[in-house]
Amino acid sequence: MFKYVFNFMGSIGRKCLNFISLLGHFFLFFTQTLSWIFRPPWYFKRIFSQILDIGYFSLPVVGLTTFFSGMVLALQTYNGFTDFNNETTVARVVLTSITRELGPVLTGLMVAGRIGAKMAAEIATMRVTEQIDALGTLGTRPMQYLIAPKVIAAVICIPFLVMIGNTIGILGGYVIAIYKLDFNPNIYLYATVDYLQWIDIIQGLVKAAIFGLIISMVSCYFGYYASKGAEGVGYATTASVVISSIMILTSTYIITALFFG
Amino acid sequence: MKRKINKKIVIEVNNLRKSFNGNIVLKDINFKLFEGESLAIIGASGSGKSVLLKNIIGLLTPDNGSIEINKTNIVNLPRVQKENLLQDLGITFQHGALFDSLKNWENIVFKVKNREKLSNKNAEILALSIIKNLGLEPKILNLYPSEISGGMQKRIAIARAICGNPKILLFDEPTSGLDPVTGSLIDKLIITAVKTVGGSAITITHDMSSVCRIADKVILIDNQTIGWSGTPKQMLKSKNSKIQEFIKSTNPNLFK
Repeated sequence: MFKYVFNFMGSIGRKCLNFISLLGHFFLFFTQTLSWIFRPPWYFKRIFSQILDIGYFSLPVVGLTTFFSGMVLALQTYNGFTDFNNETTVARVVLTSITRELGPVLTGLMVAGRIGAKMAAEIATMRVTEQIDALGTLGTRPMQYLIAPKVIAAVICIPFLVMIGNTIGILGGYVIAIYKLDFNPNIYLYATVDYLQWIDIIQGLVKAAIFGLIISMVSCYFGYYASKGAEGVGYATTASVVISSIMILTSTYIITALFFG
Repeated sequence: MKRKINKKIVIEVNNLRKSFNGNIVLKDINFKLFEGESLAIIGASGSGKSVLLKNIIGLLTPDNGSIEINKTNIVNLPRVQKENLLQDLGITFQHGALFDSLKNWENIVFKVKNREKLSNKNAEILALSIIKNLGLEPKILNLYPSEISGGMQKRIAIARAICGNPKILLFDEPTSGLDPVTGSLIDKLIITAVKTVGGSAITITHDMSSVCRIADKVILIDNQTIGWSGTPKQMLKSKNSKIQEFIKSTNPNLFK
């Protein structure tokens, strides 16, 4: 009996130790990558290509997601607030929800799925095919050449994506409010602009930048330390998306609490 | 192969020991590589040849022992100094390890282009001059590694290793997967690279004909350590069972 209890406790202990070890390992990777970001040479061509990939090519996904979210939000707000529905209530709820939470979080999750998975798979494949080893032997530091440009591009791009996503989301709400709910467009627009607050936009952008850091670091980490061939690439890809998404949802609460707590 | 070998030691490995999770892969590895010398390392698959190479290029850290490149021990050497020392090395990996996202010419000149800030045009010319000796057609330069055959990839990897005329060349199974004609071409290239650059080479191979063509000295890795060493001529006359097994299984005509 005691044997089973000890085995059970032991397995819990081992898992806890593994988790702490993973955290420490990730922290080391995080600080090393940060240190490489600020040291020359900077690979501007690679940074630019990453900006294009993360920023420009994510626009359709982010745009579609936030547009429909804005539409749904306007419709549900109208249904939920039937007793005192008017232009200003719907406009305010759509604006606040999109700029504070939905815009950054949906953009973060979409980018984690699209770009995080790609980053992890690319780096993991390079790891298991010895390309990262080869980089090191060719006078190039893998972290500086491979990872730093991705992190820089993600931190720059995601705030822009969020700004665009917010605008499209609000537009989605506007389309439903005007063409389905027959609201007065002038009143709705006036209410939207009137309720727009800098703090909402700023905290949304802060979240976006942090999400960019989370997605790029987590994805690159799992890719960089991938092993066991094709299976390892699959694991790195899945883990990067799952962990990034969890960290996005966790950190959004923390940031919201810090700003509005 | 008769060549003038200088007495200057370029690589010296002393008492190297390497294990993974308690499993000893290499132990008591001692050898010297002189300037102008071509060393072949043979051994069964999984005997630790590639692990030895990875220790020499600093990708793995030995548990014990020292690895001196040009009289500097690279084990636990600060990163910048290690990088400077490794600049003199040209390496091919077992499976090529070409960068998928770069074209073949970009792969070949990767190191030299970054180091000497070459323009794309000059870099392409350099790549072209290198592949001429490798029996490759110029049109493949603008293709990606995934668009060419495995044998061609191998040769591009060799072109990448010899680009910039490094003083020490390390080849991990450079002729595996190649047809005999191309294999022989690669052997000639290794000989030329060692002769013309005045460099030294370590080649891991299973091809005993290739060993006889390129090597001044042969090392057999067996039972985690150096089981036999000598010249190719001594190897052909050796009574060592592993050596005989190797020769018989790959090219019995070598005995004649």
